[in-house]
Amino acid sequence: MADLELNNISKRFGGVVALDRATFHCTAGEVHGLVGQNGAGKSTLVKILCGVVQCDGGEILLDGKRLNFGSPSDGIASGIGMVFQELSLIPDLTVAANIFFGHEPTGMLWGISRGALRQSTLALFERMGVEPIAPDAEVCDLPLAQRQMVEIAKVLARDPRVIIFDEAPSALGRKEVDWLLEYVRELAAEGRIVIYISHDLREVMQVSDTITVFRNGRNVGVRRVEEASTDELVSLILGRKASRLYSPRETDIGDEVAMEVRDLRGGVRLQGVSFKLRCGEILGIGGLTGQGQDELFRGLFGIQPIHGEVLISGRPVHIGSPGSALRQGIRLVLVPEDRATQGVVAAMSVAQNLSLAVLPRLQRWGLVARDRERVVVEEAIKRLSIVVADVNGPVMRLSGGNQQKVVLGKLLATKPRILMLYDSTRGVDVGTKAEIFQLLRQLVAGKGSSVLFYSTDVDELINMCDRVLVMRLGSIEAELSGEALTEENVIRASMGEAVKEGAYTRPPPVSQEVTSDRSS
Amino acid sequence: MGDKTIVTQVVSGAKSTAGGLRQGVQIRVDIFALVPYILLIALTATLVSLNSRLLSIQVLETKLNAALPLMFMTTAQALVILTGGIDLSIGGVLSLSTAIAATQMGETLDSIVMWSLIILLVGMAAGAINGLIVTYMRVTPFIATLATWSIWAGVALFVLPKEGGTIPRLLKEIVQRGRLLGLPKSVYILVLLIIFWLLIRRTRFGTRIYAVGSNANNAYLSGAPVKRTLIATYSLSGLLASMAGLYRTIQYSAGSPTAGDPFILTSAAAVIMGGMSLAGGRGGVVPSIVGAVILLLINDLIYFLGVSTFYTPMVQGVLLIMVVAIQSLGHYLRRRRAVQ
Repeated sequence: MADLELNNISKRFGGVVALDRATFHCTAGEVHGLVGQNGAGKSTLVKILCGVVQCDGGEILLDGKRLNFGSPSDGIASGIGMVFQELSLIPDLTVAANIFFGHEPTGMLWGISRGALRQSTLALFERMGVEPIAPDAEVCDLPLAQRQMVEIAKVLARDPRVIIFDEAPSALGRKEVDWLLEYVRELAAEGRIVIYISHDLREVMQVSDTITVFRNGRNVGVRRVEEASTDELVSLILGRKASRLYSPRETDIGDEVAMEVRDLRGGVRLQGVSFKLRCGEILGIGGLTGQGQDELFRGLFGIQPIHGEVLISGRPVHIGSPGSALRQGIRLVLVPEDRATQGVVAAMSVAQNLSLAVLPRLQRWGLVARDRERVVVEEAIKRLSIVVADVNGPVMRLSGGNQQKVVLGKLLATKPRILMLYDSTRGVDVGTKAEIFQLLRQLVAGKGSSVLFYSTDVDELINMCDRVLVMRLGSIEAELSGEALTEENVIRASMGEAVKEGAYTRPPPVSQEVTSDRSS
Repeated sequence: MGDKTIVTQVVSGAKSTAGGLRQGVQIRVDIFALVPYILLIALTATLVSLNSRLLSIQVLETKLNAALPLMFMTTAQALVILTGGIDLSIGGVLSLSTAIAATQMGETLDSIVMWSLIILLVGMAAGAINGLIVTYMRVTPFIATLATWSIWAGVALFVLPKEGGTIPRLLKEIVQRGRLLGLPKSVYILVLLIIFWLLIRRTRFGTRIYAVGSNANNAYLSGAPVKRTLIATYSLSGLLASMAGLYRTIQYSAGSPTAGDPFILTSAAAVIMGGMSLAGGRGGVVPSIVGAVILLLINDLIYFLGVSTFYTPMVQGVLLIMVVAIQSLGHYLRRRRAVQ
């Protein structure tokens, strides 16, 4: 009998079946990877495991004992800890208060000893082997990468028997990701049960001992990682054989310039960036995180003040705010990094989100014309293959990948000329990624639009983009195109080393290969 | 997989320049938290310069006496607002407390003690009911407490249809007259209130109050008993409101079925003046109490300037807007700093 058993778990949400008599067994002492598309049921499964969601039927056995959960506190009490994809931190509390939330060291009169709290926090970071984050800093002031580290520390502070990582490294920098993958294996070696969920198959295969694939709410395959191949896993995930993830690149881009920027400076890190974005081009921005890419995108979009010249179609413009860009007729949109807080309006329905950016066009006598809205919404859903049960339901009910599609759909409805994407495929499943890429290719095909694409996934950059500008220390370190556009060169440029011109022919895409048509 | 190994080796040699706070940036000195105290000092200084007799012990004692009910009500409101809610029913609880006290209390010590306890229990129960409605019936606090306010106000009218009633002289003696170690008893009451709050804030319960106000969903995911915390907070609010009612009854030597109404919005204004966000999760009770004092001092200032006190609400309102603007500025600056 396995150390952790989930047997015959079923769960429906309204009309949608999330889990259908699913089974999942894990052994202690090893890392168990869990993969599958968005909506396949993996998130629901682990949420049931930690008590956030109650299952409709089935049983959970931990070390042979049957568990009954009514709430997350039951799960925590049973020694199950989950690093949430969307983070479960309390923004207004300090790092230390978050990490030891619910089990703070107490002193006299039930009072929490702040000194002990601080010490314990620093001690925990030391045990983890990472650079400590100030215990008295408020979580809302921290950047996403650090918040993610706090979330991980918080789970570890309880010394749980079962640890679940749900897309844990999605916002972490390279060094932190390496640390995490190694640490995950250490945790398993200590005798815990470790479950690792990720959309990055390479990552999962690197870190796991066993991999389970979920599809359509069921467990469709369990493989030892030595015996599994990427191809086999992908076809299990999709339920069919694979084909190319990336469509072939357009090699014939004219000289017409959609946007030109000269010597952009701003914020703390942007130190002088100049480039031309040509019509019909997908221009990639690469480099390590924190080299000014954030400021560049925010500045161009108008939510951060920057200096320098920006010319759209040859005309100098000043974009003070996204609204000002709209009023000047500049059709430039940004798909943001954090879809939950910056992309979708959580309180609104799917339909409302999709029509949000084009409301003025849907007006009749000052009121939103529902029939026109419906057209826009249906078109977006069709174009992006958004999986949604009820368009008037809350947008937060959709899976991460589908939410990202909603954000994209909302922006595409404005028929933009310049589409900027900032790390938008993070935590998105393989199938959705392929659809988004194909969509981008279609978008620029008519030369009417251009795309500025930032990603931390080097593989994506070299396969999706026509050219890649690698940023380092606030300016452009290298421009890579043609034969020089290789994974190795992007990495080298990121670190300030000279690139190899045409030394290698472009290697075949290393990543998952997927068909772009999902009928699951 | 081979390529991944190369990448890993190459990257681990580089210096990571990933952005984010380094250890130097820790604790922000929150200047904006000082605003209520600055205002307090400024107002006090102005008043004293206009009328130096204000600094006498008798005047201070009278002022403190008059301010205590509002301070208790403000504390009650602050607790609830910290959780992201609001409590309109504290007015009704206060009125009901005065009504019961003025009609039921006998002259004997036993009667006083018994009825005081009953009043406190009634207040706590009223608060608990608010908590139950908000958590189990999922009614938004504004609506829930608006409804219960009417109910308690109605019961108050039933118990005491007109202002009046009597208060046992003994009670007034114990609570109001005389000094303890040279200080008026009202000082001790205020000190006890503040100590009470500071003790709560340090406990896990106190942390939970802030957590629920900051992000109730994440608090739940992190294992906090959200429903229990909310019910406890509203119960405390009701308890404090009934304490305020008792004190007010002693002050006026009479009960009033509408005594509590003016406190509702004023307590909320005091909380805001003290810098607390209505969204909850941030702020403190002590600044809120300072906010209450500020509101009262404005009234005095207007009086001493020779202007009709009909203008008081207007001045309070203008000051409130200014304070909120300053707080928003602080909030905005914090956000900008976090982005960088």
